[in-house]
Amino acid sequence: MTATLMERRIRWSGLLIAVGLLSQMLTLPLTHPLAFVGFIVLGCPLVAAGILLFLYSLVSHDTP
Amino acid sequence: MLKSWPLVNNTSLLLILFAAIAAALALLTALRPELTRVRGGKILAFMALCILPALAMWAGVNEHLERSTSTQFCLSCHVMADFGRSLYVDDKSYIPAVHFQNHFVPADHACFTCHTDYTIFGDYKAKWRGVHHVLVQYLGKIPKPDEIKLYTAYNNRECLHCHAGMRKYEEASSHHKNPEMLAQAATNQLSCISSGCHDTVHDVANLKDATFWTPKAPQGER
Repeated sequence: MTATLMERRIRWSGLLIAVGLLSQMLTLPLTHPLAFVGFIVLGCPLVAAGILLFLYSLVSHDTP
Repeated sequence: MLKSWPLVNNTSLLLILFAAIAAALALLTALRPELTRVRGGKILAFMALCILPALAMWAGVNEHLERSTSTQFCLSCHVMADFGRSLYVDDKSYIPAVHFQNHFVPADHACFTCHTDYTIFGDYKAKWRGVHHVLVQYLGKIPKPDEIKLYTAYNNRECLHCHAGMRKYEEASSHHKNPEMLAQAATNQLSCISSGCHDTVHDVANLKDATFWTPKAPQGER
C-alpha cells in the first residue's frame, strides 16, 4: 500500500469528521427533538465513519 | 411561559467551541494529509481524527440526552403546547398543575419526572415511538392534543418515586378506605389516576373553560 493511498484515506476521514462535527455544531444551540435526531442520525454516523476510516488507514498501512 | 428554543447556555457554548476546534483540526488534516509524513503530523492526525472527534461526539450525546429531559424539549413541538398550558391551570384537582406550580417536581424537568419511560428513556419500543413522533410531526397527520393518549396505562411507580414512604401519603384517611389500598397501589393493581381518585390529569380537552395561574417569575428556565 502506498503512502498516497493512506493520505487519500486520511483526507476522506478528515472531511467526514469535519462535516459531521459541523452538523453536530448546528444542532447544539437547539433544544428540540429534530436537533436531537439530526445529531444522532446525521452527525454521529459521519464522525464515526471518519474515525473508523482513519483507524482502518492505520491498520492497513504497510511500512515500506 | 416556557421558552422552547434556541437555548444556548454556557455548556452549549463550550461544546460548540470544542467541536469547532476539532472540526478545524480535522479539516486541516484533510487539506494537508502530507503533514502525517512526520512524527508531529502523525500525532496531530491521531488527535484530530480520533481523540477529539470522539470526545466531541460523546459530550454532544450527553448534552442532548440531558436536554431531552427538559420541559422546554418536550413542549417544543406545537402539538404539546396544550399539555404545557395545562401545567398552569389554576385548579388544585389538576395533578400535573399542582405538582408543577408548587415545584413538587422540578419545573425545568417536569415532564420527564412523571414520564420516566418515555421515548429515548424507555425500552426499544419507546425509542421507536419517539422516532415515530418526530416523523409524524413533520411528515404525517398531527393528532389533536385531546387525541393524544399514553400507549400503556400510567404506572403508579412514577407517583411512588416520591410518594412512597411519605407520611402524608401513608396516613391520609382516603388511602385507607380499604386495608389493602396502599399495597394494591404499590403493586400497580389499583391505579392512582384512573381509579376515580386523582383522575384529573392534563385534561387538555377542557382547557378552554379553565382559568390559569400567572407566575411572577418564568417557570422551567432555571
